[in-house]
Amino acid sequence: MKVNLKYKLLLLLSMVVIVHSCVPDVDPPVTQPLFYQPEGFPATSGQLANNPVTYYGFSLGKKLFYDPILSLDSTISCGSCHQQFAAFAHLDHKLSHGINDLEGTRNAPPLFNLAWHSNFFWDGGSNHIEVQPIAPITNPVEMDESVANVIFKLKRSSYYPAMFKKAFGSDSITTQAMTRALAQFMSSLISANSKYDKVKAGSATFTVDEQNGYMLFKSKCESCHKEPLMTDLSYRNNGLDLHFAADPGRARITLQPSDSGKFKVPSLRNIAVSYPYMHDGRLNSLSKVIDHYRSGVIQSSTIDPLLSGGNMSITDAEKQQLILFLNTLTDPTFLNDKRFSEK
Amino acid sequence: MKNKLYSLFMIAFVAIAVSSCNDDETTPSTNNGPTTYNSGDVELNFENIAGSVFLDPTGATNYVNASGETFSVTNFRYYISNVKLIKEDGSKYEVPNSYFLINANDTNSLLAELTDIPGGKYTGVEYMIGVDSARNVSGAQTGALDPANGMFWSWSSGYIFMKLEGQSSASSNNSFVYHIGGYSGVNRGQRTVSLDFTPSVVIVDGGKREAEIHITTDVLEIFKNPNNISIATQSTIMSVGAASSNIATNYADMFSFDHIHNDPL
Ligand code: HEC
Ligand code: HEC
Repeated sequence: MKVNLKYKLLLLLSMVVIVHSCVPDVDPPVTQPLFYQPEGFPATSGQLANNPVTYYGFSLGKKLFYDPILSLDSTISCGSCHQQFAAFAHLDHKLSHGINDLEGTRNAPPLFNLAWHSNFFWDGGSNHIEVQPIAPITNPVEMDESVANVIFKLKRSSYYPAMFKKAFGSDSITTQAMTRALAQFMSSLISANSKYDKVKAGSATFTVDEQNGYMLFKSKCESCHKEPLMTDLSYRNNGLDLHFAADPGRARITLQPSDSGKFKVPSLRNIAVSYPYMHDGRLNSLSKVIDHYRSGVIQSSTIDPLLSGGNMSITDAEKQQLILFLNTLTDPTFLNDKRFSEK
Repeated sequence: MKNKLYSLFMIAFVAIAVSSCNDDETTPSTNNGPTTYNSGDVELNFENIAGSVFLDPTGATNYVNASGETFSVTNFRYYISNVKLIKEDGSKYEVPNSYFLINANDTNSLLAELTDIPGGKYTGVEYMIGVDSARNVSGAQTGALDPANGMFWSWSSGYIFMKLEGQSSASSNNSFVYHIGGYSGVNRGQRTVSLDFTPSVVIVDGGKREAEIHITTDVLEIFKNPNNISIATQSTIMSVGAASSNIATNYADMFSFDHIHNDPL
């Protein structure tokens, strides 16, 4: 009798839970999967192999991404430096601003199509999307917190244990579960619905200027900013500096002098909304970027062979066409996708 | 139902008890016939020392390194992984998933428990100081490898294999920090240690014997053999390079087999 009552109560409770969970805080993933392989994209990095994206894992990751609990004094979240309207870059900040307004040494890159990256950061220093979040959490000029203390705070919270349980089947909160949830959210930030993508899919057409810009892009930029990710994810020196003492880039990781001044080729998707540009945010407009390639390329010991011939010849008219093409890489669906928004 | 389980359990228990009785009778130490041993646990017990004395990891005791510099230790930790036990016939038993973080300031961590080791006689142990490259590149790990343990570099991903920190008047800021890692490349920090117990033998015979292997770890070795490390010359090493590799080569021989407890229960 007693057992029966307990059983009934449990059943009732689980029904309540089930009904309750039917009220999701983001749209249910029925219409559009959270993670998918866009048409024409290459194979992913495979870093989600042990961590398939689920609705609850994604939701937990999103909660964590926007929660300043990850910082020492609860003032800074991942979302503070990675803003959706800027394609998850830090709009108008040359160098990132972290805790106590401390300035970092690099520009916060936009976050999208990360499931195709095997290494993270401008220098590729982080080798897995699951361990990447540990860097900003523990960086003294970013969130200045210890992983152990973040886990402690999450355990103490009134709602996180239940969210972890839903996401991973266990309410024991571990570093791995936390970073896997963040990895699920970040991997779901897929941008593949720009005008460029629609033209590729045959559902839109470029204007004449955009088409000319695209041809210029193909001949002058595409060998590094490779389609369709608009990056070949390699490390290259595009001629910004003569000396690299301020930031050796890839050489900081490989310790090879031949890697000095090389940085991960950034994607040009959503480029119109993610200024300023370059690893240190030194250029604040696309016009200035193209001026760099046509008149500012500095020949240094590690300059990329593709640029060792000197400045590119690009006329003013061509520059405008290039910019018009680059604008077609903006993906409004992605920038406004409510599933990724804080509120 | 409950009763059935209980009786099954009892039968199993009796069976085990009976079989172990049989074993006992057929296991005189000089017997040459086939002997069966039960699988069981083995403990690796790490004793941190500085030369001839136990290491004081609280910073209150001074030691002198090979360069004649006085120093104290406030933090000493290292990873032991990929443990293999060497059988009498020279074959090796690889302990699956064996990752341990030994922390001089946490007595619980000094015992590395190897469970479910096949019964038999073992004459040595082999392990890696550090963490194999596979676990360095496969995302967030758990247990001893949890990045929350503070033995992980996030700006250039990878485990810190050994941390030695302390105070020294030889350093301009009165302190020194050695964080050694690197899972690939010429300056990688992993080293393999092989310790021979002979003439001692470890007998693993679960339920009948307890096997505890005592190993000493000498911090003074970090400063010498073959590379003399001077705190005055280099008080901070926190990235992978020739300097970290020199220390790794030194720590490869900081372990010594001390003794075995292998008492019948
Ligand atoms: C203080 C600002 C700041 C905060 C807070 C911050 N980031 Fe970043 N993020 C940056 C900067 C700057 C970089 C570039 C760092 C570098 O390349 O060295 C970056 C890089 C990244 C990258 C690499 C992108 C790529 O293309 O390689 C990812 C992913 C990322 N951040 C995710 C996160 C997550 C997750 C959090 C929260 C745990 C977070 N960030 C918190 C500023 C920030
Ligand atoms: C040799 C390879 C290479 C070529 C060719 C190249 N780029 Fe780049 N581009 C890079 C690299 C590398 C960076 C990042 C440099 C840094 O920050 O240090 C970059 C950065 C950029 C950025 C800034 C992106 C951001 O998020 O900060 C823009 C915009 C850009 N390139 C546009 C172009 C255009 C347009 C062309 C063709 C006219 C072009 N690039 C040709 C390698 C190249």
